[in-house]
Amino acid sequence: MRVAQTPLAGNVICVKVEGRLDAATVPAFEQALQRLLLEGQARLVVDLGEVNYISSSGLRVLLTARRQSRSRGGDLFLCSLRPRVKEIFQMVGFLSVFGVYAASEDAAAAFPQPAV
Amino acid sequence: MIKRCLTVPGRFESLAQIAEFIGETARAADWNDDEVYHVQMAVDEACSNVMEHAYGPGGPGEIDLTCCIQDQGDLVISIHDNGMPFDPSVVPEPPIGADLESLPEGGLGLYFMRKLMDQVTFQFDERDGNVLTMVKRRRQ
Repeated sequence: MRVAQTPLAGNVICVKVEGRLDAATVPAFEQALQRLLLEGQARLVVDLGEVNYISSSGLRVLLTARRQSRSRGGDLFLCSLRPRVKEIFQMVGFLSVFGVYAASEDAAAAFPQPAV
Repeated sequence: MIKRCLTVPGRFESLAQIAEFIGETARAADWNDDEVYHVQMAVDEACSNVMEHAYGPGGPGEIDLTCCIQDQGDLVISIHDNGMPFDPSVVPEPPIGADLESLPEGGLGLYFMRKLMDQVTFQFDERDGNVLTMVKRRRQ
């Protein structure tokens, strides 16, 4: 599993994950999200386009990080879900909770404009 | 009948190897990729629970997996551990479709196991430890 961060327009950070998100790899992903939140970055997009598996521990980390980002005035959106990963989100009703977009740029554009 | 066994340390690092083992066995019996994915996820959640709760940080034991393809094509998976007894009746059901913001700790893995498999049975006794048996029936 690999995690990489890319800045997007509108003061948004894209966190791109690759590989399996299971109980062995989720802690590193959680750390990456928590570090961003601690640094005050609350406008997050998680790109799951290269994730071939996500377990319940990965879902829980996303839910927690979304709650934390929203409590800091931001949000956490998802993009590029593969069909099987999307099916797992669907099964637990997460598709109606998370903002889910086709590409990271679409997700970034969905954030309200930052106050000037 | 095809029967394959795998014994691994009850640590999270074994999860990828377990997924590979389940995938190889199910594909050998001509299960399609969607079905294989569902079985892999149910087993991943089951083994993660054993590693986190039955063994925990106190020191892992081993997990024994047995994967049988029965003559009529059904897939039967047994997962055995010698950790703390597991009682599924004390695990709260996750509030699917309701207030996911207040998702309680635990329960989501068990929810997936029951959703993805046709039969999920837990047994515990002092001598043999925990045995979880999950069945996926062959769709005609």
